[in-house]
Amino acid sequence: MTDATDRPELLSRREMIEATAAALAAPLLPAQAVTAPAAVALPGKFLTAAELALLDALTDLIIPTDDHSPGARAALVSGYIDGRLAESLDPELQARWRSGLEAVDGLSQELNGKPFMQAAPDPRVAVLTRMAAGEADPKTPAERFFTELKRWTVRAYYTSKVGIQVDQEYKGNVYQRGEYAGYDAK
Amino acid sequence: MTLLRVPPPLEQDVDLSKTYDAVIVGSGAAGGMAAHVLTSRGLQVLMLEAGKKLPIEQELRSMQWPYDHPRRGDAPPGYHSLSFNEYNIRTPPYAKGSTFKHVMSYVGGWGGSDYVKNILVDEKDHPYTGTKYAWVRARALGGKTNIWGRLALRLSDYDFKAKTHDGYGDDWPISYADLQPYYDKVDLYLGISGVKENLPHLPDSLFQRPNKLTLGEVRMRESLKNMGRVLTPYRAGVTTDGLKHNRYRSKCYGRGACDRRPGGCDIHAAFDSPTGLIYPAMDTGHLTIRTNSIAHEVLVDRNTGKARGIAFIDSATHKSYEAKAKVVILAASTLESARLLLLSRSPQHPNGIGNSSGHVGHNFCEHVMGPGVTGLVKDLVGKPPTLDDGRPGGFYIPRFRNLQDRQPGFVRGYGFEGSGGFSIFPGNAMGTPGFGAQFKKEVRDHAGAFIGMGGFGEVLARYENYVDLDPDAKDAWGIPTLRFHYQFGDNERKMCEDMVVAGREMFEAAGIEVVGTDDKMLTEGWSIHELGTARMGSDPKTSVLNQFQQSHDVKNLFVVDGSSHVSASCQNPTWTIMALAWRSCEYLADGFRKGTL
Repeated sequence: MTDATDRPELLSRREMIEATAAALAAPLLPAQAVTAPAAVALPGKFLTAAELALLDALTDLIIPTDDHSPGARAALVSGYIDGRLAESLDPELQARWRSGLEAVDGLSQELNGKPFMQAAPDPRVAVLTRMAAGEADPKTPAERFFTELKRWTVRAYYTSKVGIQVDQEYKGNVYQRGEYAGYDAK
Repeated sequence: MTLLRVPPPLEQDVDLSKTYDAVIVGSGAAGGMAAHVLTSRGLQVLMLEAGKKLPIEQELRSMQWPYDHPRRGDAPPGYHSLSFNEYNIRTPPYAKGSTFKHVMSYVGGWGGSDYVKNILVDEKDHPYTGTKYAWVRARALGGKTNIWGRLALRLSDYDFKAKTHDGYGDDWPISYADLQPYYDKVDLYLGISGVKENLPHLPDSLFQRPNKLTLGEVRMRESLKNMGRVLTPYRAGVTTDGLKHNRYRSKCYGRGACDRRPGGCDIHAAFDSPTGLIYPAMDTGHLTIRTNSIAHEVLVDRNTGKARGIAFIDSATHKSYEAKAKVVILAASTLESARLLLLSRSPQHPNGIGNSSGHVGHNFCEHVMGPGVTGLVKDLVGKPPTLDDGRPGGFYIPRFRNLQDRQPGFVRGYGFEGSGGFSIFPGNAMGTPGFGAQFKKEVRDHAGAFIGMGGFGEVLARYENYVDLDPDAKDAWGIPTLRFHYQFGDNERKMCEDMVVAGREMFEAAGIEVVGTDDKMLTEGWSIHELGTARMGSDPKTSVLNQFQQSHDVKNLFVVDGSSHVSASCQNPTWTIMALAWRSCEYLADGFRKGTL
């Protein structure tokens, strides 16, 4: 790999991190509109604005922005999940997400005495830590919701442009015109 | 970059008033090969395909980024892919009572269901009954070759003469020497990539340039040499250097979508029957195809008892038709061809055509899979990403059991398919515990450091494993369905236990940390390698076909697909299916000219 081929990726990563900073500062939905290609995003909305904000905060705690790459918020993970929920023909799935988000607020009340979105960053992490404690064998509603929430967040993030191109720096899905990459068997 | 695409040839009009030289049922690997050989010998051929002719490039979209798809490759709401639990907790028909509008086999669940939703059958229209079985069917021109796994292996006399070697089952009526020239022809006509290893139990092909290995795979290869075993780059039915004689197929550019969805190559570097065999056969002017044509009976001449054609239903209009031909060739897949034989009852053939032996549907075998090992190549943790998945597959470890040695618990053997390195989706993310910055970094650092492999083992051919017709159940076109009487036995269970032990041993010997083992056998049928329901043999009392896949009972009836295989071996069957079909169709064409059919 030459510098010339590396540079566009580095630039785009920096751009992405800047976009994340903007997304953190700006109201949620307009920020999505800036980066989401309209033709590809699912149009539907299932969650209320408050539920969506909560989901967005949760996904971005699961996969946050770090010095390497933007996180779930910049990758528009919550909007993607909401779009899939909106078009789902499975009322049980929709109900599970709604009650799951409720359970998060319930746990936050229990731990912090206030709803999740009104809690400060550290108490928020405490809520998620409690939810994640049963990851290997989830028992409470909040623990079970964490498993599903994380699975969808992971799926959505690592199939997003941010996840594939910036975080994973994926090299494939290209035409290799000469030698194939890799090592000879001999 | 765009490639020039040559559109499919214009189709000839179907003329059902005429008697064709040959009618072929099915357009997959076997049917395509029959069409290629027979049209090149000048026969006028009609091919019937039950499924649609699809705009396949638009279906596959091999280079579409996940984020350029509204559901990241998933099918729209209303589509459901069957899961392992559904196959095992319930019995077929699996789609019965489902609230989903469309139900697909488990293949849809590989993470790309939108790309195969029109290729796989809708289980709702295609029920079957009996014991649990994950039956994967693709009804479309080209059949399962549109999405096959591409591992293209030869069999050897360890397989053809397996009974001589270990006393179990039956030998094939041919040896490797009989088939070797036809394997060569298939290699040259369709293209195959790989590395010569000079193994008696896995003969080399005439390879084009191989795919390469990743660092972890190279380390495994070096380590296995000390154990007398081989790890070889995936032998892929893919043209890596191009084929001058075929204008419908591009050479492989290592784009690497092969592994992230249920197969499919929209530049046709990977073999598929339409571009590899059928379109060139159409260019001869001797091949007519009719899609949407569901064959349900081999028609019989009441005077001679010979086959005179095929009765079929148009899948869209539900109207019935007859196609007349001097020779009938079934290539509908192992299970569908058996079904068709059993459906074709007449006074001359009361148990189904070609079934005087009573063996049609029996000796049903395949490959068992599921057990495998995942390992971590520790010094690859934290290394920068490399392009590791731009290839049709990773590696293959050929069989090493019961060749010179005798295993105490089981006969026959198994091979491993696997790969290591970076891929478009970091599979480790699902299994990495926790959340937050540390989780994210751990996923990133480990993404390319894993290597995994799974076994494919020979399921013994047993008379008592069989399919027959369900007396009551019918498909959406009123055709009786298959009923399964099939299950794995003790030999398969013992073999699967050994896969885990041997897999772990090989990883550990290579200094690869074993981070997970899977000892679960996947449901019967999972390998999509069903074989042996109309086996070849020299004795008409215990076999259905002779060594040229010709019915012992009906001289102008041939069954050229996997149903003819006497045993499953542990090597993937597609290349053998095509080599056998080539050989049999040469014999057929000779007999046709001489008038001996």
